[in-house]
Amino acid sequence: MSFLSLIVKNPFRNRTRAVLAILGISIGIATIVALGMITDGLTSSTQTTLSNGTAEITVTAKGSNAFSATGGTLSESYATSLLNITGVNGTAGILRGITPAAGTVNGLEVNGINSSQTNLEGISITNGTNFVDGTNQVILGKSIAPILNKSVGSTISLFGKEFTVVGIYDSGNIVTDSLAFTSLTTLQNLTNAQGKLTIVAVKIDSNANATQIANAITNAYPTELDTTTATQQANLMDKSMSGINTASAAISVLAIVIGGIGIINVMIMSVFERTREIGVLKAVGWKSSDILIMILGESIILTLVAAVVGILLGYIGSEGLLAFFSSTGSVIKPVFSLDIVIRAFVIALVVGIIGGIYPAYRASRLPPTEALRYE
Amino acid sequence: MNNNIIDIHGLKKSFDKGRVKALNGVDLQIKEGEFISIMGPSGSGKSTLLNMIGAFDRADEGTIKVAGIDLMTTKSLDQFRSQKIGFVFQLHNLIPNLSVLENVEIPMLRTKANNKEMDQRAMELLELMNFSNLQDMVKQNPTRLSGGERQRVAIARALVNHPSIILADEPTGALDSKTTQMILDLLKDIHEKENVTLVMVTHEPDVGAQADRTVYVMDGKVK
Repeated sequence: MSFLSLIVKNPFRNRTRAVLAILGISIGIATIVALGMITDGLTSSTQTTLSNGTAEITVTAKGSNAFSATGGTLSESYATSLLNITGVNGTAGILRGITPAAGTVNGLEVNGINSSQTNLEGISITNGTNFVDGTNQVILGKSIAPILNKSVGSTISLFGKEFTVVGIYDSGNIVTDSLAFTSLTTLQNLTNAQGKLTIVAVKIDSNANATQIANAITNAYPTELDTTTATQQANLMDKSMSGINTASAAISVLAIVIGGIGIINVMIMSVFERTREIGVLKAVGWKSSDILIMILGESIILTLVAAVVGILLGYIGSEGLLAFFSSTGSVIKPVFSLDIVIRAFVIALVVGIIGGIYPAYRASRLPPTEALRYE
Repeated sequence: MNNNIIDIHGLKKSFDKGRVKALNGVDLQIKEGEFISIMGPSGSGKSTLLNMIGAFDRADEGTIKVAGIDLMTTKSLDQFRSQKIGFVFQLHNLIPNLSVLENVEIPMLRTKANNKEMDQRAMELLELMNFSNLQDMVKQNPTRLSGGERQRVAIARALVNHPSIILADEPTGALDSKTTQMILDLLKDIHEKENVTLVMVTHEPDVGAQADRTVYVMDGKVK
């Protein structure tokens, strides 16, 4: 027998209590792991990778939201007239429409665009080909395709017409990857929006300043157009993410506090029950520091086991949530990383130390005569 | 030459902020290899005296030297307890979730002994304790043993670090007469074979009479 094996063995003397303590702490750890996986998934999904060629400015009708606007609210002529603004390199008119689709709750957002301009949305075909203008062909984002249960060659009903899925694309952007793109003219005809757009995606010259050009656009059309730059979009995303991260951190702190109190309770009970035993250990020559290390070690062992259980529970829980939300149309993918495992173990270690330090100190300070008299 | 292994002069110890005087000027000398019993009525201070000799607590006044170590001034009392003293309690105080062998090894855990040395020493002592079914018993938890068997394991544990002195506080107090005599014979045997000094607190005259010398403690003093 070694000192370490004694420390590992001791917490499981009272198996029911040990299991309950581990469960209590592991629920906290599982919450932290699941939240971490989901927020990391959100962060990685929302990191807008502005690949070369992606439009830097989104132009909408005055008062419309660049994220949520749909329908033919802008005249198609803006796609041409905006080219006259200095610094504007290219434009792409996009019409957005929402159609019911099996597997989604709020419907599928279909974007009409000229096929030669899909690069302005950062689209890169990963499977199949791009659609042909004027046809009933559609390409699907890599996140939405599995939700719709569609692949290249499948057919899909959009706005009451049969479309063929000809390609799957990856844009590196969670929002874009959950959309469908088809020919602009096809969508305009289907939605009775001939000559209409929802947004104009604007690509600027490589040495131009997006904010200055956005200002130039709104100055040129003060009552008609609004602009949102990619930086503003990213900032908006960052703002939402920081809110989620703060909430996640607050829940983590709460889990640590609850876990810490739980482990203090368990360890104090254990020290009380073993008072005479601690007296015996001191009587046979154990130092106070040996007792302190033993009790603290037992507390850490409990929390480390809880970390393993918590990581498993958190992983299963977040995957379960993913499976649930997948069926309702969410495209967030929890990310399980080494960083989350390390975070869970560090938190468990902190909880173990915080929860164990007081009972361990108390046990180590027990005078042997008093401990041996304890009934 | 002074061959006293325990040398106590004017030892005083009080509790409860001086209101309870447990030891009130104890003078006691015990020679190396001696077997003495300490007797006296309840509350006379005999267990407190044993605790002072075992360095479980420090005295308020007086001098106490045990195995050449001044217990009033030495800082590392735990080291002294580990190396010089073996303690046998009235209630064996074995750790229930550890095996018999592990219980005997407990005092060696914080020494430099390795696992093999610990196993060897513990087995050597358990063999001395005259168990009929030793091989089966060593892996069992002490909860399965009888009172006498548990006390024998506790005696083995007290001897594991080769102490110079065995302190036994009512070691037969919870045993029947037959088992009492068996434990006493065992203690006497170890006392002779290992040449350890044996100090035993008891309130049973028959038990006390088996020592080389009996010391009576009354009102915190040796009479």
